[in-house]
Amino acid sequence: MTTLTNEATGPSTSVAEPLLRLDGVTKNYGPNTVLKDVSFDIGTGEVVGLLGDNGAGKSTLVKIMSGVVSMTSGRYFWGGEELSRVSRPETERLGVETIFQDSALVPTMSITRNIFAGREVTNRLGFLKMREMDAITTEILDSVVSIEGIKSAKQLVGSLSGGQAQAVAIARAVHFKRSLLILDEPTSALAVRATEALLNYLVALKNEGVSSVLVTHNLHHAYKVCDRHIVMNHGRKILDIRREDTTVEELTAAVVEGSEGVKRYRHGKPLA
Amino acid sequence: MTISTPEGTGQDAVPEVSLALEEQAPTRRRLADSQPTTPRERFLDNLYYLRGRGALEISGVYALIVFCFVIASTVNSTGFPFLNSNNLSGVLSQNIPVLAILAIGAGVLMIAGEFDLSIGAVIGLCGVVFIRTANNTNWQVAFLVTIAVGMAVMLVNGLIVVTTRIPSFIATLGMSFFWTGASIYLNGTTPATFFPGVRSDTMVDLMAGNYGYFRSQLVWLLLIGVATWFLLHRHKSGNKFFAVGGNPAAAAAVSIKPTVVRLQAFAFLGLMVGIASSLYVARTSGMQPGTTESYTLLAIAAAVVGGCSLTGGRGSITGMIVGAALILTIENGLVLGNAPGFYVQLFLGLAIVIAAVFNKFMEGKAT
Repeated sequence: MTTLTNEATGPSTSVAEPLLRLDGVTKNYGPNTVLKDVSFDIGTGEVVGLLGDNGAGKSTLVKIMSGVVSMTSGRYFWGGEELSRVSRPETERLGVETIFQDSALVPTMSITRNIFAGREVTNRLGFLKMREMDAITTEILDSVVSIEGIKSAKQLVGSLSGGQAQAVAIARAVHFKRSLLILDEPTSALAVRATEALLNYLVALKNEGVSSVLVTHNLHHAYKVCDRHIVMNHGRKILDIRREDTTVEELTAAVVEGSEGVKRYRHGKPLA
Repeated sequence: MTISTPEGTGQDAVPEVSLALEEQAPTRRRLADSQPTTPRERFLDNLYYLRGRGALEISGVYALIVFCFVIASTVNSTGFPFLNSNNLSGVLSQNIPVLAILAIGAGVLMIAGEFDLSIGAVIGLCGVVFIRTANNTNWQVAFLVTIAVGMAVMLVNGLIVVTTRIPSFIATLGMSFFWTGASIYLNGTTPATFFPGVRSDTMVDLMAGNYGYFRSQLVWLLLIGVATWFLLHRHKSGNKFFAVGGNPAAAAAVSIKPTVVRLQAFAFLGLMVGIASSLYVARTSGMQPGTTESYTLLAIAAAVVGGCSLTGGRGSITGMIVGAALILTIENGLVLGNAPGFYVQLFLGLAIVIAAVFNKFMEGKAT
């Protein structure tokens, strides 16, 4: 197995119009401001790491990007055009898929029904083609994500282990994604080998022109696969830096110490 | 877990991430290879995955009870006249359909994660509406108006629940008193009755006709049961109820609107209550407001016995119907066996609790 050399491949990140641009995003939950004036771009085919400590606002940002949560103020551009209203149906149309931290699965439904919930394969009258969906589910579980212990697409998600459920969430996102895959702590319940496979998959996705955003606590994972890193701290963006301009040490300092940590580094090198 | 590389990208074109693992993952068994292929295997596989979903086990229990009653009735047809046509058409097939239709409404709402304690009160209101509308127009118009009123009333309940976010338990408990009061306001305290000639032969034949061993209500139940089964279990709209009841946040993440789905479930309950009340007054030919409250908890009990979960996301149409049939058949058996009045209550209560515990146990076995 070779070590990572992903600077060599993948489209350049300096594309004329970024795939997604957030501009001045602020989010308040009642009196609490969880995001303050956050702006960044995500290029086509770019893997972006979204880092930060607990409570930095990463998950809220993920929910805003995926259209599940609306922003208090700010603008959302897709391919250079501003979306007037960001909603889940809208982002779904654009091909954005998210693997949420809590998997966002329904424990009382089968694997197949979870994967196809809201996007069922039906006949013209809306009746389900169960066998077809079961077959597709089996196929995705085999070819895209295969994990020990799942016996049938008909199993209830509630009867699966944490890792198996996460595999189902990954399978769903991978099946429906077309332009942007957002992964919120996708590896938290995965074994080492499965994590490695998932990270490899993100790098491979670049060649398809699919961008991804990886939210993780594991800076070593992020550093290995991401073209660019965005570090959040208390709802603000404190660092937005290309992989070649930084080091794991700088990212660690930024995540742990916030802006103070960033100030101690220049181009990934500690200041004298 | 292995994640394949996208099509058209060879291994060497893709940079590999190494997390310092030793060798390649061993080739693993494909899920597709272990799936059933012949119709028989597929049937057995489907049966296996029905375990713990609610309907299968309780249907078995019900079949066993009916089997015992049939044996008892064959052995001693005068002492235990279970198979007597008067019992079948006069008790079972006139009571089970009304309760089962209510249980379908209550159960679908429970699947969507809410429930309604005003069912009994709304039956009273709908019954009064049916009779008074029929007296002023005809029974066909009355039937449609009753359904519309049932749906409107339940939508009001639903709107209170989804807009205020107070628990449906307390919201619909309060509305239960309100709707009883509304039916008394509309009708007065005397029973509502049909004017002579309004309850026509056609109406009675269709909605309460006695055909020897069964009543026409049973046909209504069959039609409604089949239609709702297909809509809930084999149509994309049914999936939404399960998704919203099982995990509203997950439903919202796939563009299902929990609020809208909950309102649809309330309206569906209203439809079922409207139909059930029409069938009820077509048979009793009168409605005294405030006398139908016991149907609320019976309908919810039937749904729970049939495998619906109070926390939502779980249940089946077959289970709801069997749950209603089980409660009323046990009651019927106790009455036929000349059990004293308090025994009926005692055993019925016990049977409901045991059935619910049994379902909870089977739920744990679900895979």
